[in-house]
Amino acid sequence: MNRKPRFSLPLKKRRTTLTLPADSLTEAQRIARTRRVNLSTVIAEALSEGLRLQTVGERSEEVLESYKKAFSGFSDEEMSILDGVLLESVNRR
Amino acid sequence: MVPPSSGPFLFDTSAESWLARAEHPSINAWMREYLSHDEIHISAVTVMERVRGYSLLWRRAAKSRQERIERARVAYLTKLGRVWPVDGAVAVVAGEIMALLPDPPTPPRRSHQLRESRQERLARWRFDAMIAATALVARVPLIHNNAGDFESIRTAIERSPERFPNLGPLDLIRCASLA
Repeated sequence: MNRKPRFSLPLKKRRTTLTLPADSLTEAQRIARTRRVNLSTVIAEALSEGLRLQTVGERSEEVLESYKKAFSGFSDEEMSILDGVLLESVNRR
Repeated sequence: MVPPSSGPFLFDTSAESWLARAEHPSINAWMREYLSHDEIHISAVTVMERVRGYSLLWRRAAKSRQERIERARVAYLTKLGRVWPVDGAVAVVAGEIMALLPDPPTPPRRSHQLRESRQERLARWRFDAMIAATALVARVPLIHNNAGDFESIRTAIERSPERFPNLGPLDLIRCASLA
């Protein structure tokens, strides 16, 4: 049975006015000319990638912070237990 | 140095905590860079060992410390990365490793007045075999802090490739060589 192809909806866009560093704008215009796309496309892609990196950075910090909470304040013996090495007193035998 | 962008890697239980507690700036930078590319990949066995550890510490602790241990446990479980299951393929490979190397290659751990029982050592050895099997099946390098055990497994696999068709070699990376 043939299925209808599924198309994603176009991304919702909004017009806005931004003040950008002149150097960045010149570079974006150069890239747009080279790729034969409009300036908005280049700016949108760069912003999207920048936001992705920002999110990744925040997530990395969250993971590292979590690890600090998970493993700090334990003695070496306690860390052994957390690592799956269970030591017991020799005198208990 | 191992490029952090060359992952993902599977982190052995002790490697995960060693890297999390490392204070050397280059190790911290390596972890930050790695996390910007990939999640921390661990075996379900690591989660099991860790949760058993937190639970044992909690049971032994005074009431005043139990809350702190519980917070640590929740912090660990909240940000788990990718957890690889012990599925059928991992079980088959782990079984082959355990058959090749039925006994732990290194003696039980000792420290001052403490020591690991033979039973505990054997259990830990089998968990290591399951973690190594997970890395083989996932086809990712294993970051470890336990050369004695994992190098033995790697050598055994190299000597009996017929028992591990289309798998291997076991790619090992020591924590200390990361950065």
